[in-house]
Amino acid sequence: MSNQTLSRRHFLKTSGLIGGGVVVAVALPGCAFQGPHPIEVADSGFVPNAFLQITPDNDVIFYCPSDEMGQGIRTGLATIVGEELDVDPATMLVKAAGSHEDYNNPEFGVQGTGGSNAVRVFYEPLRQVGADTRALLLNAASLELGIPSDQLRTDRGFVIVGDNRYPYGDFVETASTLEMPVASPLKAPSDFQYIGADAPRIDALAKATGTASFGIDADLPGMVYAVVVRPPVAGAKALKYDDSAARVAPGVQAIVPVSSGIAVIAEGYWQANQAAKKLTVVWEENALSAVTSQQVRRDLKTALDADDDTESTHEGDPNKAFAAADMILETDYYAPFLAHAPMEPLNATLHITEDGAELWTGVQFVGAAQGVLERLTGLPRGDIKIHNQFLGGGFGRRATLSHIVEVAEIAMSIDKPVQLLWSREDDLRHGFYRPAAMMKIKATTDEEGRVTAWQARRSGANITAQTMKNALPGVLPSMPTSLLNGLVGVMDYVFDNWAVDGSSVEGLHETYSLPNYRVSHASVDHGLPTTFWRSVGHSYTSFAVESMMDELAEARQIDPVALRLKNLEDKPRMQNVVAQAGKLMADMSVPETHHLGFAAHSSFGTDVAQIAEVSVTNGNIRVHKVTCVVDCGLAVNPDIVRAQLEGAVMFALTATLYGQIDLDGGAVVQSNFHNYPILRMNESPAVDVVIINSDTPPTGIGEPGVPPLAPAVANAVYRATGQRLRDLPLQLT
Amino acid sequence: MITFSLNGDSVSFTGDPNTPLLWVIRDEFKLKGSKFGCGAGLCGACTMHLDGSAIKTCVLPVAAAADKAVTTIEGLGNPEALHPLQSAWVEHNVPQCGYCQSGQIMAAAALIAEKPGASGDDIDQAMSGNICRCGCYPRIKAAILSVAGSPLGYDATAVEARS
Repeated sequence: MSNQTLSRRHFLKTSGLIGGGVVVAVALPGCAFQGPHPIEVADSGFVPNAFLQITPDNDVIFYCPSDEMGQGIRTGLATIVGEELDVDPATMLVKAAGSHEDYNNPEFGVQGTGGSNAVRVFYEPLRQVGADTRALLLNAASLELGIPSDQLRTDRGFVIVGDNRYPYGDFVETASTLEMPVASPLKAPSDFQYIGADAPRIDALAKATGTASFGIDADLPGMVYAVVVRPPVAGAKALKYDDSAARVAPGVQAIVPVSSGIAVIAEGYWQANQAAKKLTVVWEENALSAVTSQQVRRDLKTALDADDDTESTHEGDPNKAFAAADMILETDYYAPFLAHAPMEPLNATLHITEDGAELWTGVQFVGAAQGVLERLTGLPRGDIKIHNQFLGGGFGRRATLSHIVEVAEIAMSIDKPVQLLWSREDDLRHGFYRPAAMMKIKATTDEEGRVTAWQARRSGANITAQTMKNALPGVLPSMPTSLLNGLVGVMDYVFDNWAVDGSSVEGLHETYSLPNYRVSHASVDHGLPTTFWRSVGHSYTSFAVESMMDELAEARQIDPVALRLKNLEDKPRMQNVVAQAGKLMADMSVPETHHLGFAAHSSFGTDVAQIAEVSVTNGNIRVHKVTCVVDCGLAVNPDIVRAQLEGAVMFALTATLYGQIDLDGGAVVQSNFHNYPILRMNESPAVDVVIINSDTPPTGIGEPGVPPLAPAVANAVYRATGQRLRDLPLQLT
Repeated sequence: MITFSLNGDSVSFTGDPNTPLLWVIRDEFKLKGSKFGCGAGLCGACTMHLDGSAIKTCVLPVAAAADKAVTTIEGLGNPEALHPLQSAWVEHNVPQCGYCQSGQIMAAAALIAEKPGASGDDIDQAMSGNICRCGCYPRIKAAILSVAGSPLGYDATAVEARS
């Protein structure tokens, strides 16, 4: 025992950790190790790297680098690391990683979750982490047992020698003195026991018992609550305010102006909420103040008709092909602004003390949240601790830092821990929105349905510059504000004038192999903040492209699935998905009043086709069933893949039937679920999911189920009614 | 002072009687399983039982709970002693983000208590006041049906008696 204590102390000293444990390795290439990992190491814990901790009691703890917002990433990544470590993911304790460079998303260069990339980018690195850690434990077991490591094997957290089973935990003390192996061999996919198998979600029990902790559940001794009264028009500043009535309302502790509005701080949330209603504020007017939804739509159309846009990409010579065409279709499609409306309204709880700051919240970019707190509080980064909780929905909304900035400004004004909470009205009226988009598609085909020329143009606001404006203060915490503003200004200028923001036009041509195409963009920004919304540009481009494919099929009197297959000859993976879905559709028998619509779309590396079964009664569109065929490479947990597609269908159907954020006098009209309706159970379709068997590396799954749904429904509505609806949400006249 | 039963214990509250029950339960009694979603009784994330009936507590003044029995998700079951619906939720891998699930389960539990053999239509009707933004509806429905149709039967009175 004395040896163990000594060795632990020795490592404590070298790692600088308090509380026990060791940190010996950096797992991912390109990640710089700076300071200790924010792991609360148990007295006897062994931490071979940033991701794993194994205790002498054989508890295996996995620190998940990606944020769990419902997509099942804690289960998915635990499955990947557990496969090679040879530990059943269901027996692991999975925790949210704290903020540290070692958890950076390899593609983003900052710790964050989005773009449906987590399983794809962590698949190889986390398998390696698992394999190397297992090899280390085998080396330690070999030393302790005096048996060559090639005579040892492992089984679900145990080292096996003949009939004897030794828990991994028996060897962690020795393992902590050994060098971490690197590049240990990985399993062949045929040997997988967890990857590719259905398994329960690791967080299901906590979420079924109300014990899962979300940001809103943070509760610190002496904590006060804050709400912010924000301007009706985004970005407007308060000219003056009268807080005489609010200040004397029950429980009110302070009223402080912050950069986004006026914060009311009280003993309880309800008291803050009630007092805020007694505040009167005079807001300035700005460029957005006169804007209406009708004007946005008009301006977007004018911009497309003006033919003054910036090319994004082209191939071949579409104009030449159009000149030779015997039939040309040219059509506009429109999609409005949308809000994310995650069920958990934005919130953040911050406690600033002499020793540093601690934040409890739900955020998709932990690294940027830490950075923005560093900038605003002036505290050293290492003294800022982020407890990222389960996210009560993200969908892109929690990729922004508005709640973090607000809570920092409020917490700096009061000497107590403070919880900031947004109301649903705040959420819908003061969000960052999926931008409205007008798309004009001009296309022609040969007689067999091969698209010979394709011109796709989009107008509307961009996302990247606006999102960066919000995120950069956190990503580059030490850059002076003036330089930062300059950088953002340059980005805005570039996307307005020179180059096309890829997010704005993604999906306008990529699904198909088109010999002659041109994609271009006209930036029109009215000033409403925008950001990523589940599937981003694909959420509207798919509606235009896949509606047009059906329109072309009708013009040529060709079956819509057959026409798509003609244009997928160089895209074998999508061609297979469409062919499989086409077969299912051909075999479907539905009641006479039901009609089928088809659409397919590639996004985030994944190919999805959907068949919507729809009926229309008295102008009401009812979707009865949606059948999905998906190729996302190897499905790490097929049941979670199915769940993501089921959820994507519901999310997209809300947008297809109801989704619309309107502006009147620059202010968002919608305020709660009565006028921003979300699909309910009695309106929800059955969903069937067919996953194409694949052993290629996994691709995205959180978002790709969203894009095909709207056009699949619109195509079915056309068959049901003869009305071609080219505006979202779909409304029959 | 307002006195009521909370998961079987008698509790009292001396603050503003107009405070919605949700905030009293979350902030005064520190039971965080019930969630705030809309503040207008439109989404059901805050659903609890008041004398056995599902009720949206973000718009219910705490005064309305006086001398009544309030049951929250914490009183329905816990990880060691699950309500049959909670077991079904895990078996069907229902939750995604999970934020609305306490309210969904409380709404479902009230339905099952009233109609142990609830049909699909009963479920649609009873559950349409609870929004799930992640779209877990097919699994929520399947989980409830598995309990409603369970051959083992289900003694609703036993569960309510615990609260």
